[in-house]
Amino acid sequence: MRRRAVSTGFAALVLVLAAGGCQREERQTRLDPPIAAALDGVALMPDRISGAPPAVYVALGKPYERNAFNLAEGKRLYGWFGCAACHGEGEGGKGPAFLDGWWAYGPSMVSIVSSIRDGRPHGMPPFRDKMTTEQIWQLAGYVQTIGAYSAKTAAPGRSDAKQRRPAENRAPAALLFDPGPTPLHPDQGPEP
Amino acid sequence: MTQDHDAGTRDHQVDRTMLEARLAKTWRTDPGLWGALATVDHKIIGRRYIVTAFVFLALGGVLAMLMRLQLAGPEARIIGPDRYNQIFTMHGTTMMFLFAVPVMEAVAVYLVPLMIGTRNIAFPRLNAFSYWMFLFGGLLLWVAFALDMGPDVGWFAYVPLSGPQFSAGKRADIWAQMITFTEVAALAVAVEIVVTVFKQRAPGMSLDRVPLFVWAMLVTSFLVIIAMPAVMVASTMLILDRLVGTHFFNPAEGGDVLLWQHLFWFFGHPEVYIIFLPAVGMVSTMVATFARRPVFGYLALVMAMVATGILAFGLWVHHMFVTGLPRLGESFFTASSMAIAVPAGIQIFCWIATLWSGTPRFATPLLWVVAFIVTFVIGGLTGVMVASVPFDTQVHDTYFVVAHFHYVLIGGAVFPLLGAVTYWFPKFTGRMMSERLGTWSFWLIVVGFNLTFFPMHILGFQGMPRRIYTYQPDLPWHGLNLFVSLCAVMLVAGFVLFAVNVVRSLRCGVPAGDNPWDAPTLEWATSSPPPPYNFAHIPVVGGSNPLWESPEKLPVASGLCLDRRELIVSSVVEAQPEARESSPQNSVWPFFAAIATSVMLIGSIFTPWAVVWGAVPVFVTLVGWFWPKGTPEDAA
Repeated sequence: MRRRAVSTGFAALVLVLAAGGCQREERQTRLDPPIAAALDGVALMPDRISGAPPAVYVALGKPYERNAFNLAEGKRLYGWFGCAACHGEGEGGKGPAFLDGWWAYGPSMVSIVSSIRDGRPHGMPPFRDKMTTEQIWQLAGYVQTIGAYSAKTAAPGRSDAKQRRPAENRAPAALLFDPGPTPLHPDQGPEP
Repeated sequence: MTQDHDAGTRDHQVDRTMLEARLAKTWRTDPGLWGALATVDHKIIGRRYIVTAFVFLALGGVLAMLMRLQLAGPEARIIGPDRYNQIFTMHGTTMMFLFAVPVMEAVAVYLVPLMIGTRNIAFPRLNAFSYWMFLFGGLLLWVAFALDMGPDVGWFAYVPLSGPQFSAGKRADIWAQMITFTEVAALAVAVEIVVTVFKQRAPGMSLDRVPLFVWAMLVTSFLVIIAMPAVMVASTMLILDRLVGTHFFNPAEGGDVLLWQHLFWFFGHPEVYIIFLPAVGMVSTMVATFARRPVFGYLALVMAMVATGILAFGLWVHHMFVTGLPRLGESFFTASSMAIAVPAGIQIFCWIATLWSGTPRFATPLLWVVAFIVTFVIGGLTGVMVASVPFDTQVHDTYFVVAHFHYVLIGGAVFPLLGAVTYWFPKFTGRMMSERLGTWSFWLIVVGFNLTFFPMHILGFQGMPRRIYTYQPDLPWHGLNLFVSLCAVMLVAGFVLFAVNVVRSLRCGVPAGDNPWDAPTLEWATSSPPPPYNFAHIPVVGGSNPLWESPEKLPVASGLCLDRRELIVSSVVEAQPEARESSPQNSVWPFFAAIATSVMLIGSIFTPWAVVWGAVPVFVTLVGWFWPKGTPEDAA
């Protein structure tokens, strides 16, 4: 009797935790090709700012924003594909900053995916032929966390390197936001 | 109250029936759930501990079989790489932290107070707390694994792989915090055993008359106290690095990656002896009983155990030979690694001499002892091989190492443990285990074990690395791997048969008397299973083998109170009785304290604030635990 009560309680606990916790830890080493193809179908607004994410992305549970492994992979891609050359560690440089919380094309995943995949005017090259769809989404998820307005339950950890800014998993970058917009360089940003 | 207490009945003032009834009332565990949660009886807690540890052994065994299934053929698609990483990490972690160390301490929790003739372990509430912490730590790990967030960084979780950069998510945090749980549990038991052995021995049991298992547990407990803090510090540093952005292991900010390996192996190597020394004690005890003579070289065995315990702290670096150490350091640790073979050799020769000069009776426990000696010598010899740097450099991280440490851990600890379960089963349950099933499971396990693990030496020489989830068909490994996987089935069959034997004997084994093996140590002087108070009268000891020296009737001490839990405190060396000491009553607070501590530790994986706010309930439960009772402290 006692044992049954204990095991029922335990099973209930497992279920509750399973419902809440598992997606953020799941790891897929290879994306199904049909899903990858579906993820390519980003429906942007005519001005190429924001839009609707592919239905499959929502159906999967937004893994590139909520899954720690994908975010950490995105962080590695950020280094491997030389994003830091223009964007620094998020503080910007030749390219716009992410850390200041100002998004020239909005903070939505579809905008960021599109920026990486198709490029943007004034210097952002397209990475369509250099990265897989999955990698683009992973990188987009990471870029989004750099200038996130609120903390996520999943985040990549700090790098084993010189620390020039607080680790991503410490707090939302909103703490670091500048009070005003960084003035756009005349060569940056959308055409008026 | 005080008057009443001092005037309370003493044990020599009543007859035997009355005495046993009064003691049983004083030392009882209440029935029902509440009573089960509140009990501080070392036998009940020890039994729980042993059963829980064996459940973890079974779980770890299932994982091992999953790995063998995946590795049976090349390019198998049964388990993916990510799941495989979790499985081998869980296997190692479960076996080391949730089975091997706890089960040895559990047996000690049960047996040490009986062997030294006292009524409960020292700090019995801490003992209860220890069990709950161990249980909750194990649940944390396995619930996480069930949720696909089991640790995947190997059982020693090297940084930088387990650090914040390369181990995303909470997996490594769960591993590190599980370490905290199990180490708190282990440290608690170690402290209890040291105090029990030093201060609660039966009158007359001077240090040179202490049973060898108790000596082994004493040395082991000191090893635990010295070694475990290193890994707790290390895992806490890892968690801090991962959660609050410290830089203990970040070289760019002045941290040190190798620091992890030093801290871990400063614990990790003594850990091997923390598992092995209790087995030495079990073997020494069983050898004497079944050779029907006192163990040969008592002093040599004790000194060998102490020497092993000391040397154990001087050879951790042999796990790190390929990290690029200076030549002098490598030579030193090679020498010390080989030196520890000397006390091990002394022990082996003492056991052989005991068997040689006695009249051995080959019951199942002694079969396990013989299998232990053979298997452990093989494992020890490969240990001397890998202690030499040039050889180690060749086989580092290959299946040769896997074979080596399974020989020393299974051969050196699990075989004696299975023998010990068979040997003490009548004491635990009052029934004998079946000799026929026991012999069957013995041969299945021993033959299955050697056929499973010996070929791994060869696989290692052929270059098969550890921890690969599959291999290509053109590599020359698949024949042996298939063979190993098939033989593993035999090994598992032996373990299943052993479990069947336990369950069947529990129900319908032959009833055992108080002392079915005609053994000489004190735990056999009481009934099987022992009553809650262990001994109606505390025995007085006049030699190393009390039940052989006075087989008719043990001399006993009298004058203890019946109305409160009372035991004798004796001097450290001579075991002269010093005081009548009260032993704590049952309490549910250790259980609540363990829950509060678990909430705090698990919460800290998710936010550092859990440490601050989680400390409040921990404080409250400790207040409840230590609330003054209003009864006089001592009546010495």
